[in-house]
Amino acid sequence: MPETNPDFRYPLRWRIMDMAEAIADFLWPRRLSKYTGWLFIMPALMLVGILVLGLIQIADASLRTLDTATYLPSDNWSLDNFQKALGSSVYFKVAWRSLLGAALTTAITLCFAFPYAYAMVRTQSPKVRKALLIALFLPFFIGQVVRAYGWLILLGNGGMVNDVLGLVGIGPVRLLFNYPAVIFGLVQYMLPFAVLMLAPALTAIPTETEIAAGSLGANWLQTLWHVILPMAKPGLVGAGLVVGTLSLTDFAVPAMLGGGSQDFVANAIYDQFFRTADQGLGAALALLLVAVGSLIVGLVFMVFGAGTLSMGARK
Amino acid sequence: MANSHIRLSRRAMLCGSATAGAALLITGASTRRLMAQNAPEKPREIIVRAWGGSWVEALKAGVSDPFTEATGIAVRHDLTEDNEIQPKLWAAVAQGRIPPIHVNWDTTTNATKSALRGVTEDLSDVSNLANTTDLAKPVGLEGYPIINTYGYVYVLAYRPEAFPDGPPTSWTALLDPKFKGRIALYNDGIGFHFPAQVAGGGSLEDIPDNMQAAWDFIAKVKEQDPLLGEDPDFTNWFQNGEIDIACTISTNAREARKNGLEIAWVVPEEGCKFDTDGLWIPKGLPENELYWAKEYVNFALTQQAQQVWLDGLGLPGVVPGLTPPEDLVDDPSYPTKPEDFAHLIRISAQVQVQNESEWFSKFKEIMQG
Repeated sequence: MPETNPDFRYPLRWRIMDMAEAIADFLWPRRLSKYTGWLFIMPALMLVGILVLGLIQIADASLRTLDTATYLPSDNWSLDNFQKALGSSVYFKVAWRSLLGAALTTAITLCFAFPYAYAMVRTQSPKVRKALLIALFLPFFIGQVVRAYGWLILLGNGGMVNDVLGLVGIGPVRLLFNYPAVIFGLVQYMLPFAVLMLAPALTAIPTETEIAAGSLGANWLQTLWHVILPMAKPGLVGAGLVVGTLSLTDFAVPAMLGGGSQDFVANAIYDQFFRTADQGLGAALALLLVAVGSLIVGLVFMVFGAGTLSMGARK
Repeated sequence: MANSHIRLSRRAMLCGSATAGAALLITGASTRRLMAQNAPEKPREIIVRAWGGSWVEALKAGVSDPFTEATGIAVRHDLTEDNEIQPKLWAAVAQGRIPPIHVNWDTTTNATKSALRGVTEDLSDVSNLANTTDLAKPVGLEGYPIINTYGYVYVLAYRPEAFPDGPPTSWTALLDPKFKGRIALYNDGIGFHFPAQVAGGGSLEDIPDNMQAAWDFIAKVKEQDPLLGEDPDFTNWFQNGEIDIACTISTNAREARKNGLEIAWVVPEEGCKFDTDGLWIPKGLPENELYWAKEYVNFALTQQAQQVWLDGLGLPGVVPGLTPPEDLVDDPSYPTKPEDFAHLIRISAQVQVQNESEWFSKFKEIMQG
């Protein structure tokens, strides 16, 4: 049996670790270790719980109508706000504009994001990869409102783009305050999200697969169509879902680049909450937006699967 | 460079005027009240909600800074939009919380909604009310849940170079095809509904029961692809050359002109909407803070404060004896005499409050189509 040095003292680090372990054991005894996973997920569950509580309150508000004599919500519940929202042609137009906008933004963004992400993943040059990453992240760090304001300056009648057009005798052309301007702003805003969602999916496709396709006689277009796109489908679906839902619920870009006449549903909700003080109607519109958005996401899940959002789970 | 020079000069002028106002105040009766020994404990600051840009600058120069000099209480300006602070105040009062601001500078229509909801303190005991004109009294409400502090006009503002044959005389100028895409209105149509009723061949007496004439006229304006925005947008759009003609509050047009832009405005033959803004205090403040918030409102009604504040805004106040700014003498957007109001349209706040949501919705329906 080895002799113990009477002068031996545990290092400070060991003692701190022992103390930390004792505290952890006191706070979360070992017998509860099978629930440790739940402990870690608890903050997220609480956050979701708060959101659900908020939704319940919104649902309650949506069933109360505004009395314009007192500006108080009614005591009784009714479906008047939903009838008003569903029966109004203006909300139908705004909803259609939002859905179409989300679809167009998703399609265009994926078209731009795919080659960008592919180049970023496949390039052999670290410098090019870094340059692409910086170009992607720089606007990502700038807030949506600031970016939209930047477009107001660049695309305005007296902006840089019209100055350039003026050099060749064109213009000034009204580039802002219309539907295409809103879609343009949304695509520019969503591009980094889509690239970041696509890059891991493309990284997971082995380069050898593409080489094999080429060696079997496929040209680049055939390789893209029959090999890369099918294998990148999870990334495309995940990116499409993120871009589509964010676009559908966007507020700032339609408000700033739409010139007031290209409202999305979020703008209509804002108007009811903050302009006409009709919180009941605003709440009804908000719930309808949540319902439509969830329905679309559910349909995509059913048809295409959850893509990268499934976190590797089987369909 | 020229613009910044003008801006600096104006600021210097406003600061000078504020100091002069404060000096006058120190010798005045109001100060004796503000310095009273039996006044409740002073809060460190009071928070006043205000509109940004030239609006808050004018309030600061005319009211807030002199008030701070007289009382030692700092005034913080909260620039949350009036429509956005409203639900926060309503929620605070409903939940028995201390409201996030002490004084709300608000449109009379919005303030009336808050008064109807019962979230406003009664201001009948504000002493300087005795020196105000009838304009200060909110119509259709008991007591003084709000005190109107000035009036303003939604004028037809235009770029003179777009009108080489002389200024427009009618709101129908908005329908001129050469201005397609170069006109602007507020995004809820505020200020435009009533003149549109007249321009569309309707009658003001038919408001609110039959406004079809207004909606027909607004539908024609829609064909002109108008830009729709808020106060700061108008100044920006004029400055960036996006628009030639707009329905906006004269203060915004005047601000653009002060920034060196060629802008003019008229009251067309159909008339312009005249409305008021006011100050009110939300319920739920501690006693001492309520006292000093009322003192702030009281101070805003002194002649000195009104003169400087409203010189900055270019708007007529509610205290007799104010001198119009030099550039607004005999201007139709600065009504002072009864005959000046002949071409201005004034609809009671009560009618507006009860129908505004519907008007906004109808306007949106047309413009979003």
